[in-house]
Amino acid sequence: MPSDQAIVRDVRAPATPAAVITVEKLTKRFPSPGGLAPFVVIEEMSVKVGDGEFVSIVGPSGCGKSTLLNVIAGIETYDSGTVTLSPKPGRGQTPPRVAYVFQTPRLLNWLTVRQNIEFVLEAQNIPRERWTGLVSEHLRLVGLAGQEDNYPLNLSGGMQQRVAIARALAIEPDILLMDEPFSHLDAITARKLRADLMAIMNRARPAILFVTHDLAEAVLLSDHIYMMETKPARIFKQVVVDIARPRSPEDERVFALERELMREFFSVLETKG
Amino acid sequence: MTTGLRIFSLRTASLLLLVFLWWVGATLIHDPEILPGPLAVARDIAGILTSPGPEGESAWFDIGITLARIVVAFFAAMLAGIGLGLAMGLNRGFDRWMQAIIPALLTLPTILMVFLAVMWFGFSEGGGLVAVVVLVTPYVAVNIAEGARAMDKSLIDMAATFKAGRGLRLRRIYLPQLLPYIFSAFRYAFGMTWKIVALAETFGLKFGIGYMFSFWFNQFDMGRVLAWIILFVVLMLILEHGVFARLEASVFRWRAPAAAGRV
Repeated sequence: MPSDQAIVRDVRAPATPAAVITVEKLTKRFPSPGGLAPFVVIEEMSVKVGDGEFVSIVGPSGCGKSTLLNVIAGIETYDSGTVTLSPKPGRGQTPPRVAYVFQTPRLLNWLTVRQNIEFVLEAQNIPRERWTGLVSEHLRLVGLAGQEDNYPLNLSGGMQQRVAIARALAIEPDILLMDEPFSHLDAITARKLRADLMAIMNRARPAILFVTHDLAEAVLLSDHIYMMETKPARIFKQVVVDIARPRSPEDERVFALERELMREFFSVLETKG
Repeated sequence: MTTGLRIFSLRTASLLLLVFLWWVGATLIHDPEILPGPLAVARDIAGILTSPGPEGESAWFDIGITLARIVVAFFAAMLAGIGLGLAMGLNRGFDRWMQAIIPALLTLPTILMVFLAVMWFGFSEGGGLVAVVVLVTPYVAVNIAEGARAMDKSLIDMAATFKAGRGLRLRRIYLPQLLPYIFSAFRYAFGMTWKIVALAETFGLKFGIGYMFSFWFNQFDMGRVLAWIILFVVLMLILEHGVFARLEASVFRWRAPAAAGRV
């Protein structure tokens, strides 16, 4: 088994890696007040994320993207369909470890950076003797070495989001859910964090499901992109991003694909009037 | 530290101004039975602290007994208030039920409740305690309930996605978010408690600072009444600033960003 793991870590994701997240025909409704027909947030949605893959879901605001992540994370219920989460192949961690990076850092401001990360380590029952190592390793990974004993409110917004990323990675997740994690940051900080995320992913390689409304961001980061429309919320196109890594935001092919996908979004919007 | 020093000297100056105005007033009125001057009252304070009181007891005994009454009543009211407040904040049905009772308790005039307690309990210790619990608990409960309702749902969700257990959530998420409400309830409850205890001592209890107010009032000794009032105020200020303010500053360290950490 260890040799398998080494291969998975070093080689680019194979064409069809074992699925780690499998969502099939998921439907989620919110009850409407006053006995009206319930509001359908997600309708028969199917999404698959393979081991080590980076998959994005792109769609306009309010199309149910975050709801999908919340369902996968187990903090929201759903009405029909199936959600299957498996551990990374060769790891045998059951149930699989799921980490979540939210739009805002959601740090505990009354705890130091170290205690914030230890909070999830304790939550996941990771042995105490590993804590110091995991905390400093992942803070180094996000460029925050030495900030262990600082309080979140002393950090800039970008640094707080880095702590949130370090917190998510510290549990060594099988699955990483990210909900527009850079949308609240200024353009320069967001760009820096995207570059860092790409470098980090090359090392840790969890299966990532990334939700965004930013097509350029999705093209830059993803192996696969699901494009969502709203009313009804459904996936209208699935795209394989076949651009060699490492990618740069200046890459012509990144621009070209972004333009092409943007055109598709508009044509879908126009047919709906 | 320089701002701290400036605030300190400003406060000293304003206190000195108050004493000066008092001295001017006393000089103009020129009747120690109405308003004795600061020096005469200072002599009375020294006399109170060094010689036995009307029952042969030392002044420190009266001060100690008042403090003990305050502390016991205060913790009883805080405990009852926190329990009641949590139940109200976390349970809607109970909250609705209490919404009918709490406003009635909040409108109860302090002095009336003290009279009632004295009528029920006579000169026993229970009277002051009951008066404090009945009057202070609703204020604490309302505050804590508000804190329980204002918990940040997004942090609770975060804890849920990382599968944090009950104890961990209580320790790291619920309690820290409640602390500011507990502290503000603490301060308010403390302020109410010492006023009620002083009142109960004045009207019904034996010994204590309030008892001294009424004793010297009945002797028409304005100097000693003022002396005891000053002792009482100084004692409460020491508790408020020396104990509560320090405790609060250390608990809420994370709130004051140290500029050094920012990059």
